[in-house]
Amino acid sequence: MTLHNLLGSSLEAIEPDAAYKAIMQLANLALQAEGYRTLTSRPGHHRTMIQLLTKTVGLDSETMILLDTLRKQRNVSDYSGDPVPRSAVDECFRRATDLEVTVQDWLAHQHADLLP
Amino acid sequence: MPSTTLPGVLFKEYRRKVLGLLLLQPTEPFHVREIARLTGTVPGTLHRELRTLADVGILTRRARGNQVWYQADSECVIFEELSSILRKTSGIADVLRDALVPLRDNLNTVLVFGSIASGKAQSGSDIDLLSIGNVSFAELVSALYPAQEILGREINPKLYEPDEWLHEAAKPSAFAREVMSNPVISIIGGKDDLTQPAGKQP
Repeated sequence: MTLHNLLGSSLEAIEPDAAYKAIMQLANLALQAEGYRTLTSRPGHHRTMIQLLTKTVGLDSETMILLDTLRKQRNVSDYSGDPVPRSAVDECFRRATDLEVTVQDWLAHQHADLLP
Repeated sequence: MPSTTLPGVLFKEYRRKVLGLLLLQPTEPFHVREIARLTGTVPGTLHRELRTLADVGILTRRARGNQVWYQADSECVIFEELSSILRKTSGIADVLRDALVPLRDNLNTVLVFGSIASGKAQSGSDIDLLSIGNVSFAELVSALYPAQEILGREINPKLYEPDEWLHEAAKPSAFAREVMSNPVISIIGGKDDLTQPAGKQP
């Protein structure tokens, strides 16, 4: 792979990365609000956080499976350097936005004491 | 899909389904009820088929308690050849094609690429699936999800809109080059479709 390809793909990778990061942080936020944290020293903690969304904010399993697939897309692209197709990037943005609403709503109902 | 298919001509229904399941997960033993559930077959007829395949050395048979377990015998002289036929025909291709039936009208091309297609897959390898068409990523993931359990592997779909893919193929990007120059398993359409704008489906 040439340096040009490498830089090109890493620039294209920033967008989906930001959306994915939002999903991961929201999942982490929900977990910590419940008083738990993942062991970041262990492999697979992103997956754990996302899969636990069904237990924390009560996310339906179909959406959780989708978020977990998006996690994987981002992970594979990190190592292969291949850009993530538009379909997955758009889905990632949409789901990150939806999840923010879900988590905000859940916090207001279940952990109002944690809100400013 | 035409009523006469390549795997249909080669093997009868039960044989095709059993071999598709067991040869593609050769490190896994399965008990009879599990095979029946995963292949949608009837245990009675299945027993006979499994015993025949074990008698000729394609499968190994082991009784554990009151359950009988079957597993592909990788020592069989035609194990590699048979696995390769199943990989390209009924095993993975059939399961994926069935899973995609609800989205069929909006998918132009679907191919398995990567280690599964080239026969270099290890037990933990994912199924890399290139899909080109006008469906949403969420629809594709939810259609493919049940197939993961049947195939015993995770499916990693890469979904492109037709124009987006033609752009990739014209450059060609490193990814497009990799797919076009390596073995693939056709699920919908074929490798030739990768470089041509999709025609109207008959």
